[in-house]
Amino acid sequence: MVYVTSQRKDIVRNEGFRTVIIMKIDFSGLESTAPLCGASSEMFDGFSTSPSFQIPDTTDFDDFQKEAIQMVKPAKGTTTLAFIFKEGVMVAADSRASMGGYISSQSVKKIIEINPYMLGTMAGGAADCQFWHRNLGIKCRLHELANKRRISVTGASKLLANILYSYRGMGLSVGTMIAGWDEKGPGLYYVDSEGGRLKGTKFSVGSGSPYAYGVLDSGYRYDMTIEEAAELARRSIYHATFRDGASGGVASGMLCFIMWDQPDGRSYLVMTLGNFTICTIQLNQPLSSRRCPKLEFLCYSI
Amino acid sequence: MSIFEYNGSALVAMVGKNCFAIASDRRLGVQLQTVATDFQRIFKIHDKLFVGLSGLATDAQTLYQRLVFRHKLYQLREERDMKPETFASLVSAILYEKRFGPYFCQPVIAGLGDEDKPFICTMDSIGAKELAKDFVVAGTASESLYGACESMFKPDMEPEELFETISQALLSSVDRDCLSGWGGHVYVV
Repeated sequence: MVYVTSQRKDIVRNEGFRTVIIMKIDFSGLESTAPLCGASSEMFDGFSTSPSFQIPDTTDFDDFQKEAIQMVKPAKGTTTLAFIFKEGVMVAADSRASMGGYISSQSVKKIIEINPYMLGTMAGGAADCQFWHRNLGIKCRLHELANKRRISVTGASKLLANILYSYRGMGLSVGTMIAGWDEKGPGLYYVDSEGGRLKGTKFSVGSGSPYAYGVLDSGYRYDMTIEEAAELARRSIYHATFRDGASGGVASGMLCFIMWDQPDGRSYLVMTLGNFTICTIQLNQPLSSRRCPKLEFLCYSI
Repeated sequence: MSIFEYNGSALVAMVGKNCFAIASDRRLGVQLQTVATDFQRIFKIHDKLFVGLSGLATDAQTLYQRLVFRHKLYQLREERDMKPETFASLVSAILYEKRFGPYFCQPVIAGLGDEDKPFICTMDSIGAKELAKDFVVAGTASESLYGACESMFKPDMEPEELFETISQALLSSVDRDCLSGWGGHVYVV
């Protein structure tokens, strides 16, 4: 039986055993006193028309704004670049780690040493890059022991690309460049977590890469000296950090290591300290020996 | 990233001894790209009343124009300036009018009331007023700002000390935020 409170009740009694109550439902409380349309005009104090809300044209009142809010998620908030030139391969990166909008660190090492003659850059998930680069280093070493000679950059990048392809679709985020020296000279490959692998002479990866490409492309020549190449790399990263929010950014924080080891024994270690100083250290022994007894400093302040 | 983080902003207001200070960052961005480094977020309503608008920049500018319009009407009718408490209620009402299609903006209101008593308040994007006696924050860097202000704030500071405090709080907080920065504007009244 349904009971509805009402002011009027008509009770009808059936013959038989059941009593049926018929109620007249009173809707007077539901009538709206406000007009259905008409926004309040600000010229007349806002009081002359009854208050009313502008209702949006949608059926889902609670969630329609969430769809409007969804913007493209920025991927790989960083700037890294690498290019091949006459003297070797130059690798540079910024040093900011961001989690969405929050800066978690201003002094992150984004250039990872895979082994003494190969470097990898970190863009995307930091854990993913660090783990898989170290894993790649292990595989390169095993290859060296099994075949009695160093793995080529081509081979190393192929190893990494195959591993990442097998994890495709599982959420790894890796946008890395493998740079190094082998018997054929300097080598540079771009490898990413979608399984792509590209050979090239100039790459920039990350959210700041469009800005870095602008400076890099206009200043690049194949026959540059080491100092010129270091200066070009520093300037590209600097302009990317200026425009990109996810590349940092703070004068005290930017630190980039650029180093390569040439088979004939010459080695250079180039560092930028802050945003404006490049320091090139010429080493008298190959970097792979991990001992540098004599250092000659060439410091440039700009 | 949400719509409130589209342009990036950082706003803070603090109360001192018969004075107040309001500060904002200067960056205007489109998500991660920086578009301008001299964007104004704090506007003067009258000599003793300032409003800062964080959030979506277009809504901040439109809302500011609406508020200036309403205040000028009030000045013509009442022949005096609006009190900060009244202004806060006005902003709250204007924001709630758009309850189902809001301005994506979080205002910070700072002013001197009767006898130069400082008044600050902030509200969310649909007009919920939050009055405070010490400081209020808004914007993408708001969590860092809460921490910085909480540790640096002291009651009853003189204007010079208040300026130093609010500047340091703002700068250290925006250093931890990708979407705000590039210096700051500080107004001390």
